[in-house]
Amino acid sequence: MNREVFQISQFGRRVGTRSEGEAARAQLLQILESLPDDGQLVIDLDGIEVLAGSFADEVIAKSLGLLISGVYGNRTMIVSSPSEELTEGLSDKLTQRNLAMVCVKTPKGRAWRIVGQLAEPHIETLKLINDRKKTTAKELAEALGIPPNACHQRLKRLVELRLILQDRVGVSAPKTLYQFRSIL
Amino acid sequence: MQLTIEGIEEVLRVVRSEGETTLDLRSVRDADPFGLLLLELLIRQQEDEGERLTVLRPVHPPLIQWLQAMGLFTRPGLRTPAPDVTDALQPITPIENEDAIMALVDRFDERLAERYTLDDSPRFTLIRFMIELFQNIPQHSNATGEAEDPHGIAAMHDFVDGVVLAIADKGVGMRKSLSLRGEPFETDADALDAIVLQGLSRFVDPGRGAELLRILKMIRSWDGTLAIRTGSALFHHDPTRGGDIYDVAPFPGVQIALVIPHRVFGIEETQGERDAPLDVEGEAWFNGADE
Repeated sequence: MNREVFQISQFGRRVGTRSEGEAARAQLLQILESLPDDGQLVIDLDGIEVLAGSFADEVIAKSLGLLISGVYGNRTMIVSSPSEELTEGLSDKLTQRNLAMVCVKTPKGRAWRIVGQLAEPHIETLKLINDRKKTTAKELAEALGIPPNACHQRLKRLVELRLILQDRVGVSAPKTLYQFRSIL
Repeated sequence: MQLTIEGIEEVLRVVRSEGETTLDLRSVRDADPFGLLLLELLIRQQEDEGERLTVLRPVHPPLIQWLQAMGLFTRPGLRTPAPDVTDALQPITPIENEDAIMALVDRFDERLAERYTLDDSPRFTLIRFMIELFQNIPQHSNATGEAEDPHGIAAMHDFVDGVVLAIADKGVGMRKSLSLRGEPFETDADALDAIVLQGLSRFVDPGRGAELLRILKMIRSWDGTLAIRTGSALFHHDPTRGGDIYDVAPFPGVQIALVIPHRVFGIEETQGERDAPLDVEGEAWFNGADE
């Protein structure tokens, strides 16, 4: 996966207002656009003391809204943060917009969590996919002990939010077969 | 009559509801940034409306000294630049445009950090609050474009029970701002309720709003006090009485005060109250409008 890092600290240690966020969003979207179709933008909060909700909304939440609308293909976005507290404002804004993102812990952390709003069953499913890296709906339904329809609903939401990616792996009439993979 | 969160309502009632043209502050002994900002806005508003207001100054010397240190007020204007060395934590500061807000927030934070060693977590939370509250002035105080001069100002001071941060304007207020959603609110209390307790904003965009609601939740968890005034409604929350909306004397704009207990910042409560008052004769100090 082609990853690009977008450092929020380039705008200061404490950010900021909506107008600052709007200007920063233009830069972020430019980088997102320049990525290949399956590229990933890592929004790095390292070096930041304060991330105000207004700034986070303009830069991150609004960009995520565009991303999930499909205008940036299969590109994905994640957040990288040294602390949970730093992402509080972002999490509030994502929740207001009914959005969610994966946040990894820096530096070089493997741990991740969700910022924003995601129902517990979806988080449970996402955990499993992130553990397995790649899987199918059938395998997931079995592992989770839930009916296939329920599993499909969860996967649909996770794909919609760009928290996982789906790849078409074949056709078994009358259905198309998909594989689901982690974005981490 | 006092120039405090609790006492300023009487000042506003006397002038705005009862139409008094002389405001006698000679017996005032207590003041805080919220009362101070509202007094300044009141005087300016009377002037804007061409209403005569003579103010008889407080006579309690430490209070006079503090008022001056906070930048309020000598003739002919209401405000003069505060002295460089002052015991005011952060004198009255204008908030005019969004571009200057981060520098202002840094200045407020530096003043607090110069005086105390602060725990990072509450310090950064307060910075987040200031960013949101300060930018509300350029973003919302003249949302409808009808306010000639919203006159956004902020100030901060520390008292025995905590740090008081106040932000105020005399702009269009919450009810008019919310009317831009196309959903009219009948009363200021309804608009205040919608914004503070339901997280509504004048923007339909779901990412906007809810900041005051978040601030309220944090203030509750800190056992602090929050006062938010707009038009004829006041929301007041404190640890003893909880939160409620009250009818008050009408006054334009939005005025907000946060009282954050020292222990939240890890500050030892060493700052004392101002000295006992002196009973000396008051004198006419200035006029807000014509003399």
